[in-house]
Amino acid sequence: MWSIFKLALPLVLFISPLLSQAGSSAGSSVLVVLEPELKREDFSLFFNSLEKRGYELTFRAPLDKTPKIAEHGIPAFSHVIFFTPTTKSEKKGEPGFAPDLSPQSLVSLATANQNINILIALSPSATPFTSLASEFSLSLPPPKTPLISHFPPRPFPPTTLIIPYPETPSPLLTAGTPPILLSGVSHAIGDNPLLVPILNAPAESFASDSEEDRQADLLVEATERGGEGLWAGSQMGVVTGFQTKNGARVMWVGGVSVFSNEFAEAEVAPGQKSGNAQFAKDITAWTFQETMVLRIDEATHHSASDPLTVPKEMYTTNEHLTYIIQLSAFDAKTDTWIPYSSVKDLQLEFTMLDPHIRTALKAVDGVPGAYSVTFRAPDRHGVYKFVVDYKRKGYTSLHSSLQVSIVPPRHDGYPRFLSAAWPYYAGAISTSAGFILFCAIYLGAEVSGRGKGKGGKSLKGE
Amino acid sequence: MAPKPTTSVQMSSALRTLWTNYRSSTSPKLQTIDAFLVFIMLSGIFQFLYCVLVSSFPYNAFLSGFSSTVGQFVLTASLRSQVNPQNRDQFKAVSPERAFADFVLGSIVLHFFVYNFLG
Repeated sequence: MWSIFKLALPLVLFISPLLSQAGSSAGSSVLVVLEPELKREDFSLFFNSLEKRGYELTFRAPLDKTPKIAEHGIPAFSHVIFFTPTTKSEKKGEPGFAPDLSPQSLVSLATANQNINILIALSPSATPFTSLASEFSLSLPPPKTPLISHFPPRPFPPTTLIIPYPETPSPLLTAGTPPILLSGVSHAIGDNPLLVPILNAPAESFASDSEEDRQADLLVEATERGGEGLWAGSQMGVVTGFQTKNGARVMWVGGVSVFSNEFAEAEVAPGQKSGNAQFAKDITAWTFQETMVLRIDEATHHSASDPLTVPKEMYTTNEHLTYIIQLSAFDAKTDTWIPYSSVKDLQLEFTMLDPHIRTALKAVDGVPGAYSVTFRAPDRHGVYKFVVDYKRKGYTSLHSSLQVSIVPPRHDGYPRFLSAAWPYYAGAISTSAGFILFCAIYLGAEVSGRGKGKGGKSLKGE
Repeated sequence: MAPKPTTSVQMSSALRTLWTNYRSSTSPKLQTIDAFLVFIMLSGIFQFLYCVLVSSFPYNAFLSGFSSTVGQFVLTASLRSQVNPQNRDQFKAVSPERAFADFVLGSIVLHFFVYNFLG
């Protein structure tokens, strides 16, 4: 028995990494807060696919005291999923959530140094996440007004929408996925530049508290007012991401049923299964820092004429400088960082209070992941910074700042002969040369003329 | 009576007469000195025109180059007047050899200052 175990153990250890296919760059522990009203088996396809991708799921009800999401301010899990559509903040005087799951603690965790990625499923009920969403510049409709669409005719109730991908979907989504089924709420997307819109509601959808036409006159009044107070149209988002300034990602999904088995296996068109499984995979891949994750490996600078490429603390004005930066992207399939040369709009700013130079960093041929540029340092001396500040929706924001001094040339650093002065150099030299030539000719004439007479005193030539 | 020649023809014939008289009446030694003087004068004019028309930067280079030509011109002109046999009465104390030695010494000091200031 023990000998069998000894034989089997290396085999198990060898095979287990092969079973997990992908990984996150931020860790693999996931806390799933599942309310007791939902059954884990209803989401088994989603949870199984997460486990197959290498995540360790820990389940917890909202009121449970353990496992705590953070101990003394340090997150115990890398990622959190909230499937709590009907849990209110207070129920019969009792708090609906354990204190460490309150929205304030979530926000502080997401913005602290050790960040944590969160996936939140919204619902038409008034949960604490309704008010938390407004902190993220997302406005939800009033309670109990789910998203409704009466088009296209389909075998589902009007609260279950079929949402096809747009022609050019967001870069997180895989193009060519079939339309997804969604049942929940839409939200209005605010001005916050940190928001990443992913999927918008269909144009003919609106938020209403009834599926019948009972409230139709109110809707008509709202449209006459220009849509004020009406959550309708394709400007409403149903799935929106948010990336905090230090890279934590928060995903807001309009309904928890997007992840359910029922929607994953339903058919949106005769013979075409819905794209919910692929959609869930794509958005969890982005939220859990698998895709579109970049980092700066190294940023250096050196004088362009230096063959040893040693970075110096100070350079001279008008000297040609070269800046090189190495970027990597996280590859979820191999769980490694690989050099990334596909950034087309990377910019370098050479700044002293204001950018004196702002230039594009081009990818270097032959060196994967390296971008470099060579430019002339400005004529003004001072303390400058090489600043790379790359913020794009959906991608990790990159920031690098290196400080150098630009000094005026030393006393022997100036050019020795000025090209503007060559007529004067030529004049002075020609005068001297002419003088020497004249002396030679004059004395030669003297010598040959007096040679017979006085024997030609040799006069000092010069 | 033959028609009076035009002004330009008069000018050119006067210049030609001047030139032939000059070549025949001055000694070769003085003609050498005169050639050197002409060369220095042209060099100085060229430097001055460059300064006025193009740029006076760098000013020190202009001053030294121009004063090199002017100084050399003055020294060579004084050599010519001291060496000319027709001026023998005025320069009794100065022999032609001494004049040439003064000229060379002065030129060397001038060139020293010029190259120092030329930068």
